[in-house]
Amino acid sequence: MPLIDPSVVDLSRAQFALTALYHFLFVPLTLGMTFLLAAMETVYVITGKEIYKEMTHFWAKLFGINFAIGVATGLTMEFEFGTNWSMYSHFVGDVFGTPLAIEGLMAFFMESTFIGLMFFGWNRLSKPGHLAVTYLTALGSNLSALWILIANGFMQNPQGAAFDPVTMRMQFNSFLNLVFAPDAQAKFVHTSIAGFVAGALFVMGVSSFYILRGVHKEFAARSFRMAALFGIVSSMAVVTLGDALGRLDYLVQPTKIAAIEGLWQDSNANSSAAAAPWLLFALPNDDAQTNVAEIGIPYVLTPLITHSENTVIPGLLTLEQQAGPRIDSGIIAINALQQYGQTHDAAALATFEQHEQDMGYGFLAQEFAPNQDLTQITPANHDAIIAQTEKATIPNVFVTFWAFRIMMYLGFYFVVLFAFAAYYSLRNELETHPLVLKAALFSIPLPILACEFGWITAEAGRQPWSVYGWLPTFQAASSHPVGYMVFSLVGFALLYSCFIAAELYLMFKFGRLGPQHHDEHDVGGAAAPMFATGAADKAWQ
Amino acid sequence: MGKFFKLLGLAVVVALAIALAVIAGDYGPWYFAWLVGTTMIVLIAVAGAVLYDTQEPNSNGKV
Repeated sequence: MPLIDPSVVDLSRAQFALTALYHFLFVPLTLGMTFLLAAMETVYVITGKEIYKEMTHFWAKLFGINFAIGVATGLTMEFEFGTNWSMYSHFVGDVFGTPLAIEGLMAFFMESTFIGLMFFGWNRLSKPGHLAVTYLTALGSNLSALWILIANGFMQNPQGAAFDPVTMRMQFNSFLNLVFAPDAQAKFVHTSIAGFVAGALFVMGVSSFYILRGVHKEFAARSFRMAALFGIVSSMAVVTLGDALGRLDYLVQPTKIAAIEGLWQDSNANSSAAAAPWLLFALPNDDAQTNVAEIGIPYVLTPLITHSENTVIPGLLTLEQQAGPRIDSGIIAINALQQYGQTHDAAALATFEQHEQDMGYGFLAQEFAPNQDLTQITPANHDAIIAQTEKATIPNVFVTFWAFRIMMYLGFYFVVLFAFAAYYSLRNELETHPLVLKAALFSIPLPILACEFGWITAEAGRQPWSVYGWLPTFQAASSHPVGYMVFSLVGFALLYSCFIAAELYLMFKFGRLGPQHHDEHDVGGAAAPMFATGAADKAWQ
Repeated sequence: MGKFFKLLGLAVVVALAIALAVIAGDYGPWYFAWLVGTTMIVLIAVAGAVLYDTQEPNSNGKV
């Protein structure tokens, strides 16, 4: 009987995907809105105009709703590593646990403490003191994301750790290499700025609603202006940082980048590498290992991915074949490791060390070995097992290809939308262009959707690995009964759906109400001087 | 005296910022880009608001 039940692995994956996707509905807004709040409060502190304080108050209220529910949905995932991914936790817990623990400290000590001060400190702190708190809240939110993405960066391209055959797990050898790993850095910057886009479009969209209705116009126009400028720079940064992240993936995760591009054959298979087309549209068929239909732009793929003119990008079929010798080597490594674990034989250790770099491929072959036992591979079944394992080394191409395309197309749409929004806002012509306002309003969910698809690209593209090249997802799960997994999956789906319903209800309710205490005559609308003097509180100076 | 300490405090902040930039620039160029980029994004948004206030007297109530 197999040791690992594939349906339990699939259910564990489904549960983590579900909870992570739900959680990530809230995260981008938190990342982006905190810095927008800081910008609004900065204007309040500089100019002393109460309308900017009102803006900070109102948007902070919507941010607070999102933050509270976001924290609740994030907690479960930290526990899932232990409950559903116990083999993973054993294998990389020494490494993975550190950034996760720091993230917990950041979220619950720094971020939550400063959020409390931000909400309740208005009458207790000086203006610059409160402003500093708002900036520290923004920094805390983004630093929380940083540590999660450092942990994720390790899963994408393991740095700062080595496998120890005595303890049978990966152990730290350099904390700095973990923190400064290029994948971790690139992921953090791309994700954080994508959150800025989400925050900016949220503020811009809600402000559009007020302008279209002709209410709170001074308030909404200022909010719109700040969000549009915040968003245009952020959206352009996301596109360029995404390109740089793609180049990094090309260097360290060739299977992911080939899947993203729907590239089954090498890029020079049908013409020169330089002329290889970048696919605008394709229908990848994973079973037939080909694209059923495709529309591409020639001469774009190679410079886009490799940042050179003629470098050949290996296709998925080539990458499968290249995995063959590594699978054989990995089987030797696992058998030697098992022998060393039983006998502590020096010769077994030497054999293992010789094949250690391919150990993950040996784990991968276990799924297809008789009774998941590599020692039962014989010359008669060897070729079939290797062929099955080779096919398993590449991710689901259809999912990865389209998740990336949707994210990327949305990214370019945001650049265009923010460009028009910023242009008409700077010319004070928003009211004469209701199409832009309506587009902003109805685009509020799109950056969050783009973030979700970005996450799917990163995680689906990493498959079949839980830790790239070292630990297959198949080997990482716990061994729960199927019924337990189904029960907890359904429970999470229902509970999280309630959270989403609560979030949407509160957001719509307070969004429709608008800034309740706003009164243009009181808060310095058209007649207010740029730098208020008499009424403004200057005691802090 | 107060101004002197204020100046001293700001000088320390500047020195720390430069040290951070050197370290981040050497070991974490992406982190450095985030620090500089985020600061720029926030300042551009702030500038947009200040610009709005300067445009307002001549905007005739248009937004």
